[in-house]
Amino acid sequence: MGIQEQYRSEAASLLSSGEVKLVIGFGAGSTADRRRPLFARTGEEANRFVLDASCIANLSTYLLTEGLLSDGKKVGIFLKPDGIRSINILIAEAQLKPDQVVILGYAIENGQLTALEGRSVADFNGVNEKIRSLALPPAVQQDIERLEAMSPVERFQFWQDQFSKCIKCYACRQACPMCYCRRCIVDVNQPQWVNTSSHTLGNFEWNIVRAFHLAGRCAACGACDRACPVNIPLRLINARMGREVREAFDYFAGESTDQKPVLASFSKDDPETFIL
Amino acid sequence: MAKIGVFVCHCGENIASMVDTGNLVRSLSDHPGVEVCNEYKYFCSDPGQETVKRAIREHNLTGVVVAACSPRMHEQTFRKACAEAGLNPYMLELANIREQCSWVHSNKEQATGKAIEITRSLVEKVKRNNELKPISVPVTRRALVIGGGIAGIQAALDIASAGREVVLVEREPSIGGHMSQLSETFPTLDCSQCILTPRMVEAIQHPNIRVLTYSEVEEVVGYIGNFTVKVRNKARYVDIDKCTGCGDCIQKCPQKKIPSEFECGLGNRSAIYTPFAQAVPNKPVIDRNRCTYFKNGKCKICQKTCQIEHCIDFDMQDTYEEIEVGAIVVATGFQIQDTSVYGEYGYGKYKDVITGLQFERLASASGPTAGKILRPSDGKEPETVVFIQCAGSRDPSKGVKYCSKICCMYTAKHAMLYAHKHHHGNSQIFYMDIRAAGKGYDEFTRRAIEEDGAGYVRGRVSKVFQENGKLIVRGVDTLLGKPVEVAADMVVLATAMVPQPDAKEFAKRIGIGYDEYGFFNEAHLKLRPVETATAGIYLCGACQSPKDIPDTVAQASASAAKVLGLFSREQLEREPVVAAVTESTCAGCWGCVMACPYNAIEKQDIKDRNGKVIKQVASVNPGLCQGCGTCVTFCRSNSIDLAGFTEKQIFAEVMAL
Ligand SMILES: Cc1cc2nc3c(=O)[nH]c(=O)nc-3n(C[C@H](O)[C@H](O)[C@H](O)COP(=O)(O)OP(=O)(O)OC[C@H]3O[C@@H](n4cnc5c(N)ncnc54)[C@H](O)[C@@H]3O)c2cc1C
Ligand code: SF4
Ligand code: SF4
Ligand code: SF4
Ligand code: SF4
Repeated sequence: MGIQEQYRSEAASLLSSGEVKLVIGFGAGSTADRRRPLFARTGEEANRFVLDASCIANLSTYLLTEGLLSDGKKVGIFLKPDGIRSINILIAEAQLKPDQVVILGYAIENGQLTALEGRSVADFNGVNEKIRSLALPPAVQQDIERLEAMSPVERFQFWQDQFSKCIKCYACRQACPMCYCRRCIVDVNQPQWVNTSSHTLGNFEWNIVRAFHLAGRCAACGACDRACPVNIPLRLINARMGREVREAFDYFAGESTDQKPVLASFSKDDPETFIL
Repeated sequence: MAKIGVFVCHCGENIASMVDTGNLVRSLSDHPGVEVCNEYKYFCSDPGQETVKRAIREHNLTGVVVAACSPRMHEQTFRKACAEAGLNPYMLELANIREQCSWVHSNKEQATGKAIEITRSLVEKVKRNNELKPISVPVTRRALVIGGGIAGIQAALDIASAGREVVLVEREPSIGGHMSQLSETFPTLDCSQCILTPRMVEAIQHPNIRVLTYSEVEEVVGYIGNFTVKVRNKARYVDIDKCTGCGDCIQKCPQKKIPSEFECGLGNRSAIYTPFAQAVPNKPVIDRNRCTYFKNGKCKICQKTCQIEHCIDFDMQDTYEEIEVGAIVVATGFQIQDTSVYGEYGYGKYKDVITGLQFERLASASGPTAGKILRPSDGKEPETVVFIQCAGSRDPSKGVKYCSKICCMYTAKHAMLYAHKHHHGNSQIFYMDIRAAGKGYDEFTRRAIEEDGAGYVRGRVSKVFQENGKLIVRGVDTLLGKPVEVAADMVVLATAMVPQPDAKEFAKRIGIGYDEYGFFNEAHLKLRPVETATAGIYLCGACQSPKDIPDTVAQASASAAKVLGLFSREQLEREPVVAAVTESTCAGCWGCVMACPYNAIEKQDIKDRNGKVIKQVASVNPGLCQGCGTCVTFCRSNSIDLAGFTEKQIFAEVMAL
């Protein structure tokens, strides 16, 4: 039995036994290589799940739909390791309770799918240990190296060109599981910290705020990058912020569910120079 | 409509010499919303303040900007003036055109431009100020003093004598601290115990003081006027209410060869012991790690000896109590540095190389040699004693960077005591320089040299080694530029004063700041030396910086005065500059809860009509919040705002630049 059939039947039995109220997975999309999220509430609906090498999206964003988890019931969800990593971050930030999530885990390597063992968040501690060594996709790695090789002036020019394309659609924000605030800072208009119009300055403001708000929180799932209609390589910014945080604080986002947010916590040896 | 009054102060020439105040007044007069704008030589003076008040009344001003000095200096002055003229005092802003402008610039034109911008941005801010009311909190008029050295004892006595309750917590079995170990004290050479023990007895007998020895502060929660302190009373295995202090148990204890901490290892104690003869309370304690019964399950000789039933109780457990207090005085003192970092001085290797504190014990009438200065190795009188000053202090490479402040004085004292006890003895003191500032201090060191024959050699010691039964001290005399060698019988190291080993951890537990070494931070070195940055927590003694007894006692009384000032009121008015959370937008990520350095943010349940919890949000306790703004900067969803410094105000301020 292939992994798709295995997970279809597993999702169906989770639903029919009442263990979960909903399973979030993938269904067929508008083209042969696109998948769209499918929300199954019955065993029959679970038969429409698709699971193949095109299922690359991070579905964990949907867990945070307002009110979904407030009844305390469980939800099943198809997740790759980066999705599991984002679940860890969300738990650490008190947005999810671990016992409300049933994970149907899978990994894609060279176009091949393998099922990940374990169903509850705690079962994935082993995976979490490996998360730190997860390599970035080679294409991303190459882009990073290309950017690092630039002079600051060239790099600034590069980003200025990129950000000038931004149309402030906020698709990147909507796709990101970490952008869960009910009201985003860009929607604050009293005062209007971030310029609404999509000229270069306003675009810079927005993209810098986004980068900082994701420092030490990004799961590197690439959802933002894929969502961007004008193809701004947002992952490159995230990867750089991730590196900064790792080098400065030896912190790797999403390594565990009880990690303290890096920018809100301090270690005992930090000098308390902020107390004058 | 905003009606703002702008008052430009010359501060004599302090501002006017570098800022064209006429130009500043002209520029601001045209600014939208500015109703009156004028300048004056000293607005903080009485006539200056009168001008402000009159303008408020005559023009019905809605806000005031005084362009003058730092708000640290005169904010209170002008707030009061506003209040007297009927304007809410929080409708005032001080534009700092002195410290941030005239004092730091040398180009008048540019300085004037900057002063205009600073003032204009505060006009924009003040337009958006809200009327605020001080927060009233009740005050529990009982103080906690942590540490029972001379600092803690003095502070406790001063507070108690003014009629307020005090709980004095000391972690050792007796109060007294280091002063109880000293022999005679500079600069007057009075016997330390003789001047200290009356204070110790007074403290324990004082009706307003509860002394908790062998106890430690585990946790402090709350805020100024309203702290709850959790104290652990460590199991003493002796019921101090029943014990008469007869000491029979101590006599009979079979474990007699335990190096005494009080005697700095120069004498022994038993497993059940009182640290010293005049201990307060004079009730023994069992050292669990050394007691034969606790080790082998057999002995209990002390219990059999004790005449009083159930007085010695091997089943005693640590107990905990919670105490409500309104103020805390931290007086946890110091330790001396571990001299083994100086291998070349031979401390720990040669028995006759000792620390200054050990010398105190040798010279003390109650010490292991009954006050005779004898070599620890063979009990003989030393003919030549070498004292090495700055053995740790002022040595960034191995020791500490700072000067321990007391060692020059106590070394002179040691040389004197030695001369008084051994009339033919020879003392040599290696020193970097003599720091003897203080009443009677220089006279004291002169006396050591002129009357008691102390030989001062300016220079550092490189090595101490043994040869033919002598300790050879090799160094340089930097005044002569020559190497010197002294054959000594005893070497005394003036070891550095360092913070308690657990000082940093302790500071975090109770919520105060500390410096790079672990000495606790005062709120302002010059103007608020006994307050900490945490309101309601005060400092005194050697836990703040190295100091001698006169300074310690002065600081202790100063901290008591601060506590009594706080206790003079039943209600406390606090600055209303506190944070508040917008519940509807808070995402409940608890970043702010973790980031708040004062633990002022709690989690709060939001319930629907049926009482069901629908979400949890952050909630600031205004009594605890110090208005630092850390949470505001952390919150990604922009759900926290700080009264008096709201985002709207700050934004307007920035945009006006
Ligand atoms: C060798 C030597 C000679 C000296 N000679 C002189 C002299 O001649 N004249 C002079 O003026 N000064 C002299 N001094 C300095 C003097 O000892 C100090 O100024 C004085 O002891 C400081 O008092 P204190 O109460 O601040 O600290 P301490 O005496 O150290 O007392 C602190 C107390 O707090 C207790 N404590 C610590 N942590 C805790 C805790 N967490 N909870 C509860 N209790 C705690 C300790 O057990 C101790 O009892 C000398 C010092 C030394 C080392
Ligand atoms: S910022 Fe982009 S890559 Fe990072 S977690 Fe959000 S969506 Fe994924
Ligand atoms: S998705 Fe792309 S275009 Fe849209 S706001 Fe984000 S960066 Fe800008
Ligand atoms: S940081 Fe902001 S969103 Fe997070 S809990 Fe605090 S107030 Fe709420
Ligand atoms: S302003 Fe400072 S003290 Fe007040 S709640 Fe925020 S972080 Fe805590």
